[in-house]
Amino acid sequence: MRNFLAFLRQFRVILFLALLQSVALIWYFTFLQYPRSQYLTSANAVSGTLFTWQSEITEFIHLKQNNDWLQRKVARLEASQVDNLLKVDREHVTINDTLYKVQYVYTPAKIIRSTHTMRNNYFTIDIGSDQGVEIGMGVMGINGVVGTIHSVSPSLARVKTCLTENINIAAMIEESGEHGFLKWNGRNARKGSLTGISNDRKVKKWSNVITRGSAGTFPRGLPIGKVMKTAPIEGKPLWDVTVLFSEDYRRIQRVFVIKNVLRDEQRKLEGNLNAP
Amino acid sequence: MNTTIVTHSIRAILLFIIQVFILNYLEVGYGIQMMIYPLFLLLLPVELNVFYLMLIAFGFGAFIDIFSDTFGMHASSALMFAYFRPIIFKLFAPRDGYDILMETNMFQMGFGWFFRTFGILILIHHLWFFLLMIFRVSEILFILQMTGLSAVLSFILCILYQQLFLRKPKKEA
Repeated sequence: MRNFLAFLRQFRVILFLALLQSVALIWYFTFLQYPRSQYLTSANAVSGTLFTWQSEITEFIHLKQNNDWLQRKVARLEASQVDNLLKVDREHVTINDTLYKVQYVYTPAKIIRSTHTMRNNYFTIDIGSDQGVEIGMGVMGINGVVGTIHSVSPSLARVKTCLTENINIAAMIEESGEHGFLKWNGRNARKGSLTGISNDRKVKKWSNVITRGSAGTFPRGLPIGKVMKTAPIEGKPLWDVTVLFSEDYRRIQRVFVIKNVLRDEQRKLEGNLNAP
Repeated sequence: MNTTIVTHSIRAILLFIIQVFILNYLEVGYGIQMMIYPLFLLLLPVELNVFYLMLIAFGFGAFIDIFSDTFGMHASSALMFAYFRPIIFKLFAPRDGYDILMETNMFQMGFGWFFRTFGILILIHHLWFFLLMIFRVSEILFILQMTGLSAVLSFILCILYQQLFLRKPKKEA
């Protein structure tokens, strides 16, 4: 017993370090293991308020650019309106008899906190479960896909962005329809990569990469980026496709949260298929 | 005693605000992340017990973690900083020991002393931080690159902070 006490006394600093260090490391590795854990993140009331103040102060810095982006988007949407199209043929009358049902609902939100230099980057946005945000919903910006909702509190939510290692958004190349998953290697905030594209077909440079919409998180055809370069992966019949993101995650301020009305239905159906 | 507590608390809050609301948003490229908060741990009184030092470091790092979504990485590396501080201090102690009344800043201890101690401590701190962040042996070169470049920038920032906010001792005539 005395020896044990002497041992404790001799190594008390190291033991204390080990104790505190294990608390910190458990905190970190719990997160790596279970990224859904919601303890001690910036989506809490105190830091939420502080970051809201901060974003109100710094919002004006990128205001001009964001307005430009919005204006371009409005122009694009305006051009596709039926009212703005000239009727070429006067003989026939088109009757629009197709019934539509809303599948995707968009809720605008403001980013109040963002990082882009970490290995896994998260945005905090200013709407939460009170506004109908749920975990797993998609988030898009003005120019393209941003990420998915990762955790929710009553008035705030955290977005797991495309700048995380395992974002795995189902993406495809618009021209050829080949599909794969979006990844990020943690180096450059403008470039991601697309995995699972087989190399028996050539991938054209600067062809568009869009969402596939297979998981029901995003509608099909949202822009993600453009193919920047392709390189063969050694030992696998696959291309390593580098994607230049169309959204600049360093400057983005306003996003839309996408609610898929039929998501639960799709989940249920696909769950039934997988069951024996 | 009370004035020291007040000074250090004010410094902690100031460095916290600089770190969380400004430095976390700066992007330099090459994987560089600037950190100024280790300066607070360096400037704590020399005679402070290492247990209190580690507790303070853990708490301070954990607060920064909560505000920057880093899940204990800052807390863990601040702990390493606090653990190595007394060891490095003993290694580079002046000939007649540390004066209790002195603060261990750049002006009172001299730039050479500051360069050696803080340089080594911040390298340890950054290396631990980036090791945890990447956590992959295959990217060890990238880790070393990030550590070296970030440490240089953080060091320059800490010198700037001291030039701006600390009282310089009057030169003896």
